[in-house]
Amino acid sequence: MRALALITALAAAPAAASDMSSSITDRLILPAFKDLASSSQALAEAAEADCSAKSKTLRAAYGAAFDAWIAASHYRFGPTETDSRAFALAFWPDSRSKTPKALGSLIGSEDAGITDPAGFASYSIAARGFYALEYLLYDPELSAVGSPDYRCALTRAVSTDIAATAQAIAADWEKNYATEMRVPAARYRSEEEITQELLKALTTGLQVLDDMRLGRPLGTHDTPRPNRAEARRSGRSLRHVLLSLNAMEPLAIALAQKNTELKADLAHEFSKIRNRAETLDDPVFAGVADPASRIRIEALRQQVKDLRSLVSDRLSPALGVAAGFNSLDGD
Amino acid sequence: MTSRRGFLAGLMASTLTPQASWAAAGSPAFLSAGKDASGAFLLAGLSRTGEILFRHPLPGRGHAAAAHPSRPEAVAFARRPGRFADVIDCRTGGALARLEPPAGRHFYGHGVFSPDGSRLFTTENDYENARGMIGVWNAADGYCRIASFSSGGLGPHDMLLRRDAPGLAVANGGIETHPDSGRAKLNLPDMRSNLSYLSLEGEIQEQMELPQDLRLNSIRHLAVHADGTVGFAMQWQGDTGELVPTAGLHLPGSEPRLMAGDDARVLNMQGYGGSIAFSADGSRIGVTSPRGGVLQVLDTVSGALLHEHRMGDVCGLAPSSGGFMASTGTGQFIAVSDTAQHLLHRANLAWDNHLIPLA
Repeated sequence: MRALALITALAAAPAAASDMSSSITDRLILPAFKDLASSSQALAEAAEADCSAKSKTLRAAYGAAFDAWIAASHYRFGPTETDSRAFALAFWPDSRSKTPKALGSLIGSEDAGITDPAGFASYSIAARGFYALEYLLYDPELSAVGSPDYRCALTRAVSTDIAATAQAIAADWEKNYATEMRVPAARYRSEEEITQELLKALTTGLQVLDDMRLGRPLGTHDTPRPNRAEARRSGRSLRHVLLSLNAMEPLAIALAQKNTELKADLAHEFSKIRNRAETLDDPVFAGVADPASRIRIEALRQQVKDLRSLVSDRLSPALGVAAGFNSLDGD
Repeated sequence: MTSRRGFLAGLMASTLTPQASWAAAGSPAFLSAGKDASGAFLLAGLSRTGEILFRHPLPGRGHAAAAHPSRPEAVAFARRPGRFADVIDCRTGGALARLEPPAGRHFYGHGVFSPDGSRLFTTENDYENARGMIGVWNAADGYCRIASFSSGGLGPHDMLLRRDAPGLAVANGGIETHPDSGRAKLNLPDMRSNLSYLSLEGEIQEQMELPQDLRLNSIRHLAVHADGTVGFAMQWQGDTGELVPTAGLHLPGSEPRLMAGDDARVLNMQGYGGSIAFSADGSRIGVTSPRGGVLQVLDTVSGALLHEHRMGDVCGLAPSSGGFMASTGTGQFIAVSDTAQHLLHRANLAWDNHLIPLA
């Protein structure tokens, strides 16, 4: 009986590829970027109304827009890559501290060019986006240095720029790219390539979760790196893990299509990771430096690795996508 | 006195044997290793548009290859830490010789012929002594081994001929490995990679090392332009997510120029440059990342990143008249101009890391 169900599921898979990609586009991708555009617009308006770093409404608007970006950020293809929009929204990790340097230099020189939105869009990517704004709102030094008026103008400039970038991505998806995802045409040569793009969004998103969000602060046992935790100044490191899990789970389930057993296994893995993350009670992974609590963060990362294995061992083959002959080689 | 018949027979024999040319092998434009649908490994000769002109089975996974400058012979090198290099008659796909390195050594997957075709050079690991070596083989006489000399560093990988002077350019990746521990990296705490220029007899002519803060960037693959500029692709051994260059240019006698190292899009390479090639006119250099599924095209004058091309499991890269040819682990053979991709051919096999252009 189960064998029969499996055969039916497999037989249905190729024919359903365009339905699947249309459905993922309509149910997941377009709403995610629409939400990012509207919450980023609200952020720009909040900064206009009150640019103070301590403003509760501004911080709340910032949090909501950043949440929306994290929930959309694994769709790193097409509109997010035009004009480096994704990097303009989110330049992280910033291994050489380019963001605080760029902001400090703007504040120090009181560069007047920031008030022109088109001009600001040509500034260093390190001075733009959510991670730059986090410094302006939460970093003890950069939220207090220089003239309050200039910091206010800079906060507004970064917020306005985020809104414009988010709007550009959403419009590009709506007007152009959604069509590319429904039927092979100019961008994708076959339904298989569309499926591969969506699968890659999931696998890359899980890789970022594993290597960046968890791997960077964990560092090595001898050299833990708590200061590398993502968005730790605003206390969002663990929150981003949960947000990205919640955003990727429906994508994984949709990619599993009618394979109910695989769907159930994926859902089970996601919920195991979520439960562990929710009970961690360590919003910025400060515990990586303490052997007792480090074990719990390592265990969380191991579960993410297990989920990655489930995807590469079962979901990818079910979609007819072979493991990368070259990408896994390393030579 | 030579009879007319004898004269003609001699003429035919001479065109078929001593001066047999690449034309007799269908004039392939590229060589590439691959894996077919049954899981068997091979070396193939490809036409300009990606059709397979010949194939030769390999005993294990290949990596790169070298083409003899005049005779229709190709050498397929084993992927490290393999121990075979098959010399193939490209007219028939048949085997002419199988080279094996001396005991205690393995091949690294790359090699090159001397300009006159008399010698073949192979990059090798003398793993008991942790030394990078270049093996020398007599291509004029049955490929017997003649000599070997130091590569100028650890982990020599890609190697090409200089074009500004006689000699070899060798990418010493700097990473120590030993077959007993597979591909594990044994010396990251003190690794140093270099680009070494050696005479064909093995004297070190010049060495280039990256600045200390980039010492974990392993120089692995090379391209050489007609003016002698060497393009090098790097693989980062440090923490993931660091914004470090994956491509650079070096003209012997000058400082290296690292490319696009400040452009956030370099993060899309995931610190891994897989293959590198100049465009035919030298104005562009392309570098592929199979991990990132991307080909980045850079301006060789300004060093700026000009274009990104998304291609799943892309790695092989070679110059073409309009820009580049790229090959992928999904069997695609793609012509790439500045802004467009054209799928020229799709084979039912996986193309391995490198697409070797024939002169």
